[in-house]
Amino acid sequence: MAYTEEELKKQLETKEYEYGFYTEIDSETFPVGLNEEIVKAISKKKNEPKWMTDWRLDAYSTWKSMEEPNWSNVKYEKPNFQDISYYSAPKKKPDLKSLDDVDPELLKTFDKLGISIDEQKRLSGVAMDVVVDSVSVATTFKDTLEEKGIIFCSISEAIQNHPELVRKYIGSVIPKKDNYYAALNSAVFSDGSFCYIPKGVKCPMELSTYFRINQAGTGQFERTLVIADKSSYVSYLEGCTAPSRDENQLHAAVVELIALDDAEIKYSTVQNWYPGDKKGKGGVYNFVTKRGICHERSKISWTQVETGSAVTWKYPSCILKGNNSIGEFYSIAVTNNFQQADTGTKMIHIGKNTKSTIISKGISAGKSQNSYRGLVQISPFAKNARNFSQCDSLLMGNKCGAHTFPYIEVQNKSAQIEHEATTSKIGEDQIFYCNQRGIDTEKAIALIVNGFSKEVLNKLPMEFAVEAQKLLEISLEGSVG
Amino acid sequence: MKSHNMSFQEKLLDSFIAFEQDVDLLNPIHKDRKDALKRFEELGFPSKKDESWKYTSLKSLVQKDYNLYAKSETNVELKDVKKYLLNDIDSFKIVFIDGVYSPFLSKTTHDGKDICVLSAALSKDKYKKRIKKYFNKVVPSAESLASLNTSYTKEGAYIYIPEGICPEDPVQIMHFSTGSQNSIWLQPRNLIIADKGSKIEIIERHQSLKDHSVVTNSLTEIYAERNAFVDYYKIQNDLKTSSLIDNTFISQERDSNVSVHTFSFGGKLTRNNLNFYHKGENIQSTLKGITILESNQHVDHNTLVNHAQPNCESHQDYKGIFSDRSVGVFNGKIIVDKIAQKTNAFQQNNNILIDNKSKVNTKPQLEIFADDVKCSHGCTVGQLDKEALFYLKTRGIPEKEAKALLTYAFANNVLESVNIPNLKTRINSLIANKLGVNLGFDL
Amino acid sequence: MLEINNLHCKIEGRSILKGINLKINKGEIHAIMGPNGSGKSTLANVISGHEDYEITKGNIFFKDQEINEFSPEDRAHEGVFMSFQYPVEIPGVTVTNFIKTAINESRKSKGLDEMPSSEMLKKIREKAALLEIDSNFLSRSLNEGFSGGEKKRNEIFQMAMIEPELAVLDETDSGLDIDALKIVANGVIKCSNDNNSVLVITHYQRLLDYIVPDYVHIVMDGKVVKSGDKDLAKKIEEIGYDWLKNEKS
Repeated sequence: MAYTEEELKKQLETKEYEYGFYTEIDSETFPVGLNEEIVKAISKKKNEPKWMTDWRLDAYSTWKSMEEPNWSNVKYEKPNFQDISYYSAPKKKPDLKSLDDVDPELLKTFDKLGISIDEQKRLSGVAMDVVVDSVSVATTFKDTLEEKGIIFCSISEAIQNHPELVRKYIGSVIPKKDNYYAALNSAVFSDGSFCYIPKGVKCPMELSTYFRINQAGTGQFERTLVIADKSSYVSYLEGCTAPSRDENQLHAAVVELIALDDAEIKYSTVQNWYPGDKKGKGGVYNFVTKRGICHERSKISWTQVETGSAVTWKYPSCILKGNNSIGEFYSIAVTNNFQQADTGTKMIHIGKNTKSTIISKGISAGKSQNSYRGLVQISPFAKNARNFSQCDSLLMGNKCGAHTFPYIEVQNKSAQIEHEATTSKIGEDQIFYCNQRGIDTEKAIALIVNGFSKEVLNKLPMEFAVEAQKLLEISLEGSVG
Repeated sequence: MKSHNMSFQEKLLDSFIAFEQDVDLLNPIHKDRKDALKRFEELGFPSKKDESWKYTSLKSLVQKDYNLYAKSETNVELKDVKKYLLNDIDSFKIVFIDGVYSPFLSKTTHDGKDICVLSAALSKDKYKKRIKKYFNKVVPSAESLASLNTSYTKEGAYIYIPEGICPEDPVQIMHFSTGSQNSIWLQPRNLIIADKGSKIEIIERHQSLKDHSVVTNSLTEIYAERNAFVDYYKIQNDLKTSSLIDNTFISQERDSNVSVHTFSFGGKLTRNNLNFYHKGENIQSTLKGITILESNQHVDHNTLVNHAQPNCESHQDYKGIFSDRSVGVFNGKIIVDKIAQKTNAFQQNNNILIDNKSKVNTKPQLEIFADDVKCSHGCTVGQLDKEALFYLKTRGIPEKEAKALLTYAFANNVLESVNIPNLKTRINSLIANKLGVNLGFDL
Repeated sequence: MLEINNLHCKIEGRSILKGINLKINKGEIHAIMGPNGSGKSTLANVISGHEDYEITKGNIFFKDQEINEFSPEDRAHEGVFMSFQYPVEIPGVTVTNFIKTAINESRKSKGLDEMPSSEMLKKIREKAALLEIDSNFLSRSLNEGFSGGEKKRNEIFQMAMIEPELAVLDETDSGLDIDALKIVANGVIKCSNDNNSVLVITHYQRLLDYIVPDYVHIVMDGKVVKSGDKDLAKKIEEIGYDWLKNEKS
């Protein structure tokens, strides 16, 4: 009757990474290794002003003096930083004014990803910036956005065309020396997205960046900077994939969000980097620093669906500096096979009447380890701060682990903090009930997992929610509790 | 680089030779002592860098110097200590004055059970086998403070309840510090064994008789054999010049039931390391606590329940109320091993902050490796319910009493599981006393 | 429609069914009664294909093919429906979403396209009205926080949506007050016709006042000990089961 667990396991193991293809694009890649010369070369290649070069060099010297962090609940072979190439750009410089000039191979890549730029453009009206390996290759809808005064371009362009904004805000939320990987990124980032929404402007469409690591032996170090000026609004989407490779690839991004008074930033991520094969070989190391700062009455909302990467280490955070500001974190993290995820958030309450909400759903299958790690800190000045946290874990099978490490530090008596966590499994009775209604076990699991994750899925913009649901299904195919 | 003054840590290491003059070097446990000293030498005192000491610093304590022994004989009479004992019930008593056993104040027995002192058990052949079987077996070697205690093992309570025996009277283990020395470091070591189907209730208290600098690094091992019941109550209401590091390690065999209640009202710095290890199925473990602090008191509850066998249950419920500049820490860890299917593990930590200078750091952790389990933790930080407070005041109850009433109500469900009525009354009056009220309802 | 021959089954090594024989034709309503622990619910679960129950002897024919080895979902696709005694909660999955998935999975197995949304919606409205279910209910999480009555009503609503050929109602009346019972029974009757069959498993005769069976079978100790018409159910209600203890079918 139905599947045996063995059959299901086998099926799951043989399931291949759907996005595991490699695109033949001529690319120009720097020699491996990292030293001051490489940092200078990256900066020079991009024709950067001196302040930017100096900033990078400063970050590099800080990084050299730092030690790789050891504290999170993940085990992995540390990357050899001298074995990575820090710059890889598709060789044919695409003309950013027209999609027709983009390398056709590259466009095929996006077709395979199911995100043909053209289609996106027409159907969903999403403005896209596409970063392959390290370089931004195409930004759509530029003109429409320009009319509203919205700047949406690659960070390299922003450094050239809007140096005053970049200089003012880069590193203002995440200082160069914040942590090991942030320092590394600050030294070697080669591209990323930049977005500025002027005062009072509600961005009329979702802004989106798609990241892809293509070239072998490269690391991706993109840098994203989003500035929402007073009373503005933006919803920003970020998607990630990488081809399957035997070796581990490093992705160390930095994302900084600045929400000025009364502004709102919604930042959604669907992360599907290559997770490694069923034996745990290969896969992306995803060591990301994401943080936003909220000024008076502003709001930052992080939503993430993390299904990929061999090792994920990320804590999108909010510094609630302004009075009455709001921080939100909604997360689904799925781990299967040998994946490890250590993810969560930090909500730093500084202003009065600040509020934060944390909803985290962890789903572990195979031999994976899934940890929630979060900090809620109420400073002595944060009068009437409120936090609600809920961390639920779903375990599938008996070889995986689900862990919860919340840190709650309260220094103001008027605070109200609630934290709840539960762990459960998919019940056999639930599966049988679905079976009896004609729904097979695979589909039943997808349905139950979707139900479990619903509070977070609901937070995603429509176009992403569908993709995210599909990803959840793919990531968990065949794993039964 | 050696500092001019010998650090206390060095003093502990150096004084061991003198300590050895005083104990039986041929006793097999002496190897445990020596090994433990070595480990302490390697590990040193924990620092804030250790994840489990993130919110509690021992620095100010261990930077000072302490005497390791009391000044000769101290004259303590029953009238001096009576008020700290539960007198209105029959009980066994094991009383220590400055770390030294006081037969005069104690009531021990060897009649069908052993309720006596460790030094006696160590010195007699007939206990050798049992001590060898149990001593230091549940204490993990990586714990530096536990190692320190082990290395200086000499005195403490020894309790053995044989199979099927259920003494009606509880045991009171009392540690008094007289202040004969300006500063003293005490390290009592308790060994408690409840054999199959037996039952025992124990009340433990550390108390200074006058203001002086005392640090107690206490270690208690509890072994609950199959189907044994152990009910352990810790009363921590010491003077504000006293600090306590309480290390309790509990090993449970199948069908056993152990509960530990910790009432923390007094003391300067208190750290409770409470660890449960499961060795069989169908085990029940209960960890409950009420913490009420003021001024600059600091209490850190560091709990571990390691579910290593299927079909076991654990319940944790800690309530904290913090005023003035006091700091409360709750660091509770539940580990569910791969084979521990059908585990039910629940943890609650609720806190109320009364003043703006008071702090709460709480870190409830779940580490789950089995899928068919029910585990949850909840934690809250908040204030007394303003609406409820208003309601009470409209009924004519003054603010202070109303607050006390609500605080009491907040903490009350922890008291429900206290099985000794006289003890419950005593705790109630300690709470009322701590809250500075004379409540007009039945406490 | 359904034919059960000399069915024996075990759960966790314990024999529960010890030779059940039962034949249900198209258009018939059968009722099974019996004391606690007699094997009534086991029979429902075995017909649905629950994996915990091991068939040790005998066979089950549905629409003239043996289904002993069929998975639960295959049986559902063939047209077997069971209303659960204890419907299962699935947090986060709405009633609508669930029923849509169930219907489309069945269609997929038959090589049909998904049911168009408009048609689905229309059908949901129609069947919801039949069971006096309001639309708020449809967007709640499946069975989560439902009252006993709501759960059972939801089961019959799903039955009405799926339109099975054989509906097995396992103690659908337990935990229902009289008003809810009438609604549920009414729903079952409106769905039954000459081409489908119903097997009602119940403890009480009460339900059979509303869903009038053509045949009543008494199960004791894993066997059908007596069969008759609706009067047999009345007799049981009056004098209990004891008189049947020595009967052999």
